[in-house]
Amino acid sequence: MLFTGLLMLPGMGFLLLVFVLPLLWFFGQLFAAEEGAAEVLRRFLASSAYRQILFNTFIVAINVTVACAVIAYPLAALLARVRGTAFLLLLYCVLFPLWISVLVRTFSWMMLLERNGPVNRFLLDLRLIESPVQLLFSNLGVHIGMIHVLIPYAVLPIFAALRQIDPKLLQASDGLGASPLQTFRRIYLPLSMPGVFGGAALVFLLALGFYITPALLGGVRAVTISMLIASLVSERLDWPTAAAASLVLATAVAVFLAAASRFLSFGQEVAAK
Amino acid sequence: MTIAPLWARIGLHTTANAALAFLLLPILSIVPASFNAASFIELPPRVYSLRWYELFLQDPQWVSSLATSLQVATACMLLSLALGIPLAIAMDKLTGPGRIAVNMLILAPLVVPVIVIACAMYYAGLHTGLVGTFWGMVLGHTVLSLPFVVINVGISLRAIDPSWSRAAEGLGAGPFYSFRRVILPNIAPGVLGGAVFAFIYSFDEVVVALFLAGIGLKTLPVRMWEVIRLEFTPVVAVAATFMIVLAALLFVLARLVEMRRNPGS
Repeated sequence: MLFTGLLMLPGMGFLLLVFVLPLLWFFGQLFAAEEGAAEVLRRFLASSAYRQILFNTFIVAINVTVACAVIAYPLAALLARVRGTAFLLLLYCVLFPLWISVLVRTFSWMMLLERNGPVNRFLLDLRLIESPVQLLFSNLGVHIGMIHVLIPYAVLPIFAALRQIDPKLLQASDGLGASPLQTFRRIYLPLSMPGVFGGAALVFLLALGFYITPALLGGVRAVTISMLIASLVSERLDWPTAAAASLVLATAVAVFLAAASRFLSFGQEVAAK
Repeated sequence: MTIAPLWARIGLHTTANAALAFLLLPILSIVPASFNAASFIELPPRVYSLRWYELFLQDPQWVSSLATSLQVATACMLLSLALGIPLAIAMDKLTGPGRIAVNMLILAPLVVPVIVIACAMYYAGLHTGLVGTFWGMVLGHTVLSLPFVVINVGISLRAIDPSWSRAAEGLGAGPFYSFRRVILPNIAPGVLGGAVFAFIYSFDEVVVALFLAGIGLKTLPVRMWEVIRLEFTPVVAVAATFMIVLAALLFVLARLVEMRRNPGS
């Protein structure tokens, strides 16, 4: 036991000093404010501008979560079907983007969504639009970029659930006269739902605190809470309000995490990288 | 779904491949953009050249930011291993609420939004003089990469039969000898996997780096961020291509390690 304690000492000490202490120190700024912590928090939550940012953050996170689940589902289903080299190749294609910096992945969308970029040229060629549309620095751009970055996190939990479905159940459903669509709707889809919820929960959690992608792809109108926190700290040097905004974000994440904990196996999800 | 009819299989393959294209093509499109000859970003380029590679390699600011990133990532990887391996071994022995509490603290940096961690570290760094210093950056990145080392080493440790250690003990091996000859060889793939990921995590990381960079310590992503916000130049595509190539090399390395860990799968 003493040996175990000694082994943990450096790591635990490091996390307390470099992670927990700075967080407490930073949140402490809320309480160091002259008007008191409650007043700073009240003012933050009462401001209609800040409330709009909070609302926007939640809406973006929800949209991105739904889109990721929908796009990831067929990818996970294919992953659960194929075997051997095809399986490994497909798995690596899903995992590889996680190794690429979020900044690089976001930058690629800046090139693609640009006014004269490939997406606009493609839409012009198809005559879907008559003149280039503003995709970059727009709410749509933020959505596309965030969906792109977060899809792999949705694929892995859905795949894990699908892989566990016993093929005999599907054969039995078929044998009892159900149509393929009925088998999918009544057997396959319900059995995959824990994975879908797990993936969605993970994506939503990450989307709430996203910074780089909305900051680069979204212009001034599509502000999220992370962009607000960053600007409070680096531009306005308003530490109490930044601490209040961070507390609101961290609380939202903690509440959501507690509510969704039965769908999440965090260690496994992230280790998959 | 072996019983799926043809139309369902075609539908599945079509949608899955479309999703895959959406996932991969944007990333891959950066590479041709970096070989552009024009003075602005053009995709696909009309004329190819190495012009922006020359500019990148001749610009001391770009080269030094790449060097800084490599140094920070190396130090972060070593520190994560030094702290993470003992933590994983201790976690393997812990049980009950103690284990849950330690596990939560180790995984917490993955759950708390990075922007909050970055601001907190920036605040603490301002008061301790660590903003803009090499070790400030290394400490910040290690908090975020430590969980990956602990998780990876932990997976390897769980695969070790506890009777092996007891056998070593019974044959007269001391705890350190048994660690070196029994545990270490068996967790080596986990250690290597964790090390590679800790390195790439630090190399890729932007948010904490932005806040801890100050004026003196610009990593490659920080420099890219600053340039992107000012102008839209193909030299950023060159920097991004370097990052993609390094990530690809390390990804292959990690997969090779994984194949050695569980041969046949």
